[in-house]
Amino acid sequence: MPTGAHASLDSATVAELRAILGDDAIVSRPTELKVYECDGWTIEKNAPELLLRPRSAAEISAVLKLLDRRAIAFVPRGAGTGLSGGCLPVGAPVMICTSRLNRILAIDYANRRVEVESGVVNLHVSNAVRGRGFFYAPDPSSQMACTIGGNIAENSGGPHTLKYGVTTNHVLGLEIVLPDGEIAELGGPTEERLGYDLVGAIVGAEGTAGIVTRATLRLTREPEARRTLLAIFADVEAATRAVSAIIASGVIPGAIEMMDQLIIEAVEAAFHAGLPRDAGAVLIIELDGIAAALDAEARAVGELARSSGAREVRFARDEAERATLWKARKRAFGAVGRLAPNYATQDGVVPRTRLPEILREIAQIARRHALRIGNVFHAGDGNIHPIVLYDERDPDETRRAIAAGREILRACVAMGGSLTGEHGIGVEKISEMPLIFSPDDLIVMSELRRVFDPAQRANPNKVIPAPGGCVEVAAPRRQAAL
Amino acid sequence: MASAPKSDSSPPVAQRPRARPLRDVVDYELLFDCVHCGLCLEACPTYVVTRAEMDSPRGRVYLMKALAEGALDLDADAVRHLDLCLECRGCETACPSGVRYGKLIERAREYVERNVRRPWRERIRNRLIAALFPYPARLRILLTPITAADRLGMRPLIRKLAPAAMRDWLDLIPPRAAPPPMVLAPPSAASAAAPAAVVHHGCVAKVLTNAENLNTEGALAAAGYRVARMGRTVCCGALDLHHGNFARAKQFARANIREFQRLGDAAILSAASGCAAAIAAYGDLLADDPEFAAPAREVSARVADLGTLMLARDYRFTREFRAAVTYHDSCHLAHGLGVREAPRQLLRAIPGVTLIELNEADLCCGSAGSYNLTERAMARELVRRKADNILATGADYVVLGNPGCELQIAAELRRRGAPVRVIHLADFLALAIRGANA
Repeated sequence: MPTGAHASLDSATVAELRAILGDDAIVSRPTELKVYECDGWTIEKNAPELLLRPRSAAEISAVLKLLDRRAIAFVPRGAGTGLSGGCLPVGAPVMICTSRLNRILAIDYANRRVEVESGVVNLHVSNAVRGRGFFYAPDPSSQMACTIGGNIAENSGGPHTLKYGVTTNHVLGLEIVLPDGEIAELGGPTEERLGYDLVGAIVGAEGTAGIVTRATLRLTREPEARRTLLAIFADVEAATRAVSAIIASGVIPGAIEMMDQLIIEAVEAAFHAGLPRDAGAVLIIELDGIAAALDAEARAVGELARSSGAREVRFARDEAERATLWKARKRAFGAVGRLAPNYATQDGVVPRTRLPEILREIAQIARRHALRIGNVFHAGDGNIHPIVLYDERDPDETRRAIAAGREILRACVAMGGSLTGEHGIGVEKISEMPLIFSPDDLIVMSELRRVFDPAQRANPNKVIPAPGGCVEVAAPRRQAAL
Repeated sequence: MASAPKSDSSPPVAQRPRARPLRDVVDYELLFDCVHCGLCLEACPTYVVTRAEMDSPRGRVYLMKALAEGALDLDADAVRHLDLCLECRGCETACPSGVRYGKLIERAREYVERNVRRPWRERIRNRLIAALFPYPARLRILLTPITAADRLGMRPLIRKLAPAAMRDWLDLIPPRAAPPPMVLAPPSAASAAAPAAVVHHGCVAKVLTNAENLNTEGALAAAGYRVARMGRTVCCGALDLHHGNFARAKQFARANIREFQRLGDAAILSAASGCAAAIAAYGDLLADDPEFAAPAREVSARVADLGTLMLARDYRFTREFRAAVTYHDSCHLAHGLGVREAPRQLLRAIPGVTLIELNEADLCCGSAGSYNLTERAMARELVRRKADNILATGADYVVLGNPGCELQIAAELRRRGAPVRVIHLADFLALAIRGANA
């Protein structure tokens, strides 16, 4: 079957799907489908023609076998918290939601691993093991709602990935239903894998290889103690200098997060976390490890911040103060909703040392497009999240917001960085892929994808742009919701 | 669905027609507080059960927006998913963006009631609820046959004969066999200098769980408050707000405001947190009322809760009361008024009490005003989940701050034959103040 030869959905197929799943797992009426027309990336919208809500891998397998026979493309969806439109249907009539696969199957403390279905919420994994002193390390800001399956698709990160790594470092094994309905087990419970790293190929594939239904995740021991600092700066330049100074000193904090003035304003309005509204930037620095060593380390980091220009360094005195700081940080994206009707969160990466430059560049882009852009990001690993504010009711401003986002990404790439740290390519950044990858690179990736999905029916038109940029064909149903 | 060609350099643009004027569904501007992040999903009891986007706050806000913009018609699906909302406001606690969901859904419900003709069964049911619940005298008459049947030990027989739809309703009414709650002595005259507090006695609470009103007053008096009494009490209006009947809600609000104004600056409490939250929203409800806007704001600002007031007077329990206790967050206390820690802190201050944290403590039990009468299946699902969590704590008492939750949870535990006692915070304080089991 050649690429792109996807069939449309007919009533006979819908009836068969209904027979497989039962009525309560089929959503077909327009009002109900409407709410599935976008995820956290709201600039583009497109509702699926049919939504399936299966309960098990077996059901998904039966569904995919049927769709395979009928040559119908599909798009997987978890909780729909993604920020790049990864689950936006583009040429895929059927959406398959994993939210009902939400059981934690087995917790194995002795081997430090947990087996979960892919619709389990990220934070629920940590909640289930916290009592025994463990946690699941990747902690995206949406962790109270996003699913493990979505995390695997996007290779999600989070503040604490500076020290602990991103999702791919914590997935030991997977069960995936391939687009032809075959259920495959990749990797396994052991730490050492033989042969090619197929799990690694699936993590970050954005659902283009099939639907992950189960994962064996690594559990991480809660550190014995933590010290959380708030360093307050007059401007972002000084704050980023401090980041480089800390990393260069050899200390690896659990997290180093930066918020600029616009974001400080938003989170203060929302949470009254006690951040100074007159500061140009703040860093939240968290050190974790063995209690005996931490105080000296925290003092040293505080000194580094001061010598880089911090006007003040505060230490969280207890767990409540720490929680307040993290709440402000984790919910910063949403808090920005208080400043403007809409926003688009960008996700680029630059080498740490070039943070001052990229932030200057972002400020210039904002001025050029007459937009407000805030910055809240994982400074420790150079993963920036400029938040572009706009009002979707103003088509011109929306256009400028999209253009500004693209310019920021181009600037990241020009500085030796990357298009995405953790949000994925989705539909948002697919046309920027050639900035990083040569046509040959993209062909190699495309061939790897064909190993799992020869007919390219799993989340079509994602990650790998159509050759020659002929996007009209590749994205027949895509539209900006202006 | 229109498709738009897309080129590599400029983003695709499809102008959305603005020809249709906005429909008066909700306060349109408030919809833009929602940034579609989805952090509310797992805080929503109906999403937790159905795991479907249209049963989530984000999905409902999206439906409201589409309805307002004319992109959707108010069809049976839209009504269904708006109806299924409990108005627990758990999403407001989770929302980082400050979406005023409670205000949105109340307005949307008014829009639904204005524009949808419901099937006759629903119409009769809703009219019965609206005609009975806010009026204690009518409720008492309604309950007379059931009380009589209980006296004759005939409740099981009636239950057996009743249609399934009535069985859940019947179960909510506590049987006579339940131990009568201990009631603290009525408050004696306190000095005029003491801070004043007044308890709104409510409607259903007054008939079914009046001890809670009296014990709230008794506990306040024990902590040194001068307890004032309302002359004429009418319904707080919460029920009407939930059912989209703004006109009568405002009428009730005005009557209560007049009465509260008469009582000077007394802190305003209710043993029903749903009522307290409704009174705390009078300022919003009557914001456009030329005569009542200012007094409504003033009255709303006076709303307080028992736990916080007891702590404010640094009340010390002198007797021991040995019990393993868990605490259920009533929605309008936790999500509506933001009161979470005070009742827990107060319970921990009782010598002999061990407080065990309840899993999903702030997830709605399904009572939600009259929700357990109108959405029985979902209400039942939620109370089962609540009961499972309660039984997992191994506690002897589950303490809470709302009679609706009490009736709902107690009914489920009775059905299971579980010996856990469901008790209002005020009634539990009465036991602890008396040191009843020492």
